[in-house]
This record gives sequence, structure tokens and C-alpha cells, in this order.
Amino acid sequence: MSSADEAVPVIATKPQVRMQLPRDWRSQTGMAIVLIFGATVMLVPFFWMIATSLSRKANSSMPRVPTLWPADPSLFNYWVATANLPIVKLYINSLFIVGTTTLGYLLFSSIAGYAFAKGRFPGKTFLFIVFLATLFIPFETRMIPLYLFVRDLHLNNTYWALILPFLAGGFGTFLMRQTISTIPDDLIDAARIDGASEFRIFWSIVLPLCKPTLATLAIINVIWRWNDVLWPLLVTSSRDLYTVTQGLALAGKSSGVYVGVALATAVMAILPVIVAYLFLQRYVIRSVVSSGVKG
Amino acid sequence: MHTESGSKPSPVDPDFVRSRLARAFRGTLVWYGFLALPLFLIMVFVAYPTAIAFRDSFFTETPQGPEFAGLYHFGRLFSSGVFWGALGNTILLGVAFLGLTIPLATIFASMLNRLRRGSTPLKVIYFLPQLTSSVAVAIMFNYVFQPDWGLLNGTLRSLGVEQVPLWLSDPRLSLGGSRAAVTLLAVWAGLGYFIIIILAGLQSIPNDLYDAAAIDGASPVQAWWYVTLPSLRPTFVFLLITGSIDALSRFGDLWTLGGPGGAPARSLQSVVMFMFQAGFESNDYSLAAATAVVFFVIVLAITLVAFRGFLRSEFRAIK
Repeated sequence: MSSADEAVPVIATKPQVRMQLPRDWRSQTGMAIVLIFGATVMLVPFFWMIATSLSRKANSSMPRVPTLWPADPSLFNYWVATANLPIVKLYINSLFIVGTTTLGYLLFSSIAGYAFAKGRFPGKTFLFIVFLATLFIPFETRMIPLYLFVRDLHLNNTYWALILPFLAGGFGTFLMRQTISTIPDDLIDAARIDGASEFRIFWSIVLPLCKPTLATLAIINVIWRWNDVLWPLLVTSSRDLYTVTQGLALAGKSSGVYVGVALATAVMAILPVIVAYLFLQRYVIRSVVSSGVKG
Repeated sequence: MHTESGSKPSPVDPDFVRSRLARAFRGTLVWYGFLALPLFLIMVFVAYPTAIAFRDSFFTETPQGPEFAGLYHFGRLFSSGVFWGALGNTILLGVAFLGLTIPLATIFASMLNRLRRGSTPLKVIYFLPQLTSSVAVAIMFNYVFQPDWGLLNGTLRSLGVEQVPLWLSDPRLSLGGSRAAVTLLAVWAGLGYFIIIILAGLQSIPNDLYDAAAIDGASPVQAWWYVTLPSLRPTFVFLLITGSIDALSRFGDLWTLGGPGGAPARSLQSVVMFMFQAGFESNDYSLAAATAVVFFVIVLAITLVAFRGFLRSEFRAIK
């Protein structure tokens, strides 16, 4: 042991000394250049889109050499886009749908997760398998029967069709069960002895301890629901119920010839999401890493 | 097991023995109460439609009601050239996407991991397209790939390239065709997710391994090849699995670019688009259901192979 203890500092200093040599400085610069080039490739399409959306001429003739600054800056395309599409209404719809589904998803996932983590009742394993099995059913598999079912209930073209199918799910239940399992039983037993009801224990003790996981689940669910387009396209055909992404998909098709207008619509649809992301980027990236699920 | 020790009421309570049964009963009911609504929602909106998809794939809708059709619809599906085209497209696009993205993301993540300053803003930028809906990305890239004045061809021309590709207007299987274009789009949009997952994998590699490699005289590149890459194996497996399932489910961007038919010339039609078209354009729900079942079986096979370890530990944990 003692010989190893002596040997470590001698060897460990070697790479440290090397770190300060110009060779490392060069590799750092080289990596920075490659990474900044990559980041530029990521950003340029966004800037080009914004520049084009600000150019009125973009609807009739596009410059053969792409520019990142419009020759004729104007908000004309935004004016046309808002006249074509009730963008404010779309935002209200999306916020309402994403908000209600996320709140419901958090509540149902955590209450089911609590039952599976701390409850003792017959049939627990079987019921957990039922929940877990839904993880392995891709939405696309059940999409058409679900659509027919919603239609038969006369729920298509209502908010219900956009909310009800997404209130409970295996992924959230699984994630919450995993988190709640780490809460010591002693804590819950202590509350039980004090006479707290199971729901009160859940609400005032378990939920506050799950805040980081709830935040993760909320972020993931918001990204999922905000960007979903397949389901809204199926169940709503009334403009009053369009979500932002759905409105963009339909407007992008119909105004395809008018490049400036189409891109102005796209900018209005994604800019608020990007601004929110820039403020919350630490939490967003952490959520994606910790759950392994992409938005 | 360990839960056995918990949740017993205090034995000093005089009512304890008398009301034990009643309490146990009430204690059980509470849990069913907690599960009732989530379970109801899952049964109605997940289990029931899935069962119907399976049923519909074996039945034909007639004016007199459903009629058992056996494997007839699967026969129709497997003899449909359009289905095989869509499945082939989906697999080709998925393989091309993963084959490009995983190595590229590994290189970028390794560099980000070693960069001493500025890696956070770069990470945020790389992840940015992931937050943009696939529809918005598709609308943007529809113009990026425009042959005459699009961002890509315009840039290529100003770099002196005369023979610019036609991208989305060219249905042929070529490096300048529609499939290449949507692959570039997917790599651009998906790279950030792969980078941050690989970064998390890199940060979990113990430093001892690198110290040991340094003692053995390995150069940084050798250490990367012999230490980093093998240690990332679980991360790669995870990304391959989730990436394959995502690639199989691809819909939004291709639908925005080419409609449910995957124009031009069905070169961009995916399996889900085929299902969408069969169900909602031809109203052939049985064929759509058969497609859904085949899709389900493929995804399930990938998932079970990948998650058998995960499932085993989950069932151990619940018992």
C-alpha cells in the first residue's frame, strides 16, 4: 500500500504539467474551432429563416445568394401571417391543452406511482405490469382505433379529444414510482402514526419531496404535447381548436409559395418556445439527461 | 419484504386488535382508490384501442358488421409494394440517421467534454433544434433545400460548386436526392439530443481508467479509443434502441415535406405515413390495423431485446 501511495503523486503530476504546455493550448483551440463551426451550422438556418421572414420580396423572388440580413426589412409577412392564422387563439389553445394535460399527467402519474411504491394491496404486481406494458405500446399502434373511438363518443373537435387520452401514462407512473421508492418508509409511517390520511401523506409529504422529478416530467410532457401534430390533425378540423404546431403544419402547406409568409408563421410558432428554452435551458437539458427521453 | 416492517399502527393503541381487519380492509381500499382514475384512463385510452387494433386486423368491416377475415389483411399488406417501399424507406432513413449521428455526436461530445471553457453555451446551441417541432424544422428545411435559391445550394454555389443537387425534388436514391435531404435534416435536428446523452455517459466514466491509461503511456487519442469508446457501450446501446424506435415512428417532418404519400414519388413515405394514408385516405381501417400490428411487433421485438435486463430488475423490485 505504502509504495502505491508514494507512486501516485509522481505519476499524477505528469499529465498536470503537460496540461500547461502549448500543445494542449493548441488542441483546445482546434476543438473550439470545430465546435464553433458545428454550432454555426446549427444556428445559420434559424438566422436565415428570421432574415427571410422579414423580407417582403421573399414572397416573389428570393436572392440567389442567401443573405442573413434582409435587403428590405419589414413586418409585412408577419402582418399577413397573423391575418391568415389566428395566432393568438392558437397560442391560447396550445397553452390550455399543454397546461391541463401536464397537470393531469403529473397528478395521475404521482398518485399511481405512490400506490405502486408504498402501497400494499392484492394485485399490485399485476396492475404494475399493466401500467408498465403501456410503455411498450407505441402511440401509432392505437392511433386509428383511438380516433374512431373518440369520434364515436362525439368528442372530436372538442378540447376533450386533445386532453383525455394524455392524462395518464406508463412512463410518468414508472418514473414517479422509482422516485417515491427512495423516500424512507419511516417518514411515511411517522405521518401515519400521527393520524395523517394516505392522501394527506401523499400531498404534503411525498409530493414536495418529488419536486425535481415532477419538474423533469413536466418539462418532458410540455415538449411532447407542444410539438405533437399527428393527433391534433386527426381529431380537430376546426380552426378554433388548432394548436400552434398544427396551425403551422396546415399554414405551411397552404402558403408554401409565399416563402416569407410561411417562414414568418414558423418564426411566430417557435420563437416563444426558444425564448423559454434559453431561460430554462439548465433544467431542460438536465431533465432530458436524467430521464433519457427526448422532447 | 422490507415493506413488511412498515405501516403497522402503534401496538399501544387499544383499538388496534379489534379493528385490525377493518383497518386492513380500509388500508387496501385507499390504494385502489388512488389507482382507480389513472387505471381507468389507461384502460380506456391505451389498452382498449390497442385491443381494437389487433381485432380489426383480423376482421373486415361489412354493412352487416365485422366479418372474420383471418390473415387476409396481413396477406394484402405483405403483397403490397407500397408497404414494402414505406418499410424500406423507414429502415434506410433510420440506419443512415443513426450511422451518421452516433459517430458525429460521439466526436462532438468528446470535444465538449474536454473543452475547458464555453461548453455550456455550445451545448445549448446544439440542443436548440430538438426544442423546435419537427413541423417547423420541416418547413424551414423545405426552403433550405430549395434547388435554386435555398440556403444550402446558395452556399454551395458561392463556394464554387456548379452542379448543385436537386435535393427534395429528386426522388432517386442518391446523395443529392430527397432521402439524403431528409437525413441531413434529421441529423441537424437530432444531433443535440445524442450529444447530451453521450456527454452524460462520458462524465460517468471514472477518472481512474484515464489515470491507468496515462500510466501505461497512452496518448489522448489512444485513451479515447481504448478507454472512452468501450466505456460508452451502454450509452450507445441505449441510443441505438431509442433511436431505432424513434426512426420507425418518423412522421411529422416527412408528412410536412411530402404529404401522407411521401412525395416525390413515395420516396419519403414512412410506415406510419402508410398507415395514416390507408386509414384516413382510403378508409381501409383493416389494412391500417394490420400495419399497426406489424409496427407494434417490430417495436416490441426491439424493446424486449433491449430492455430484458431492465424488465427483470423492475419485476424484482416490485415483488
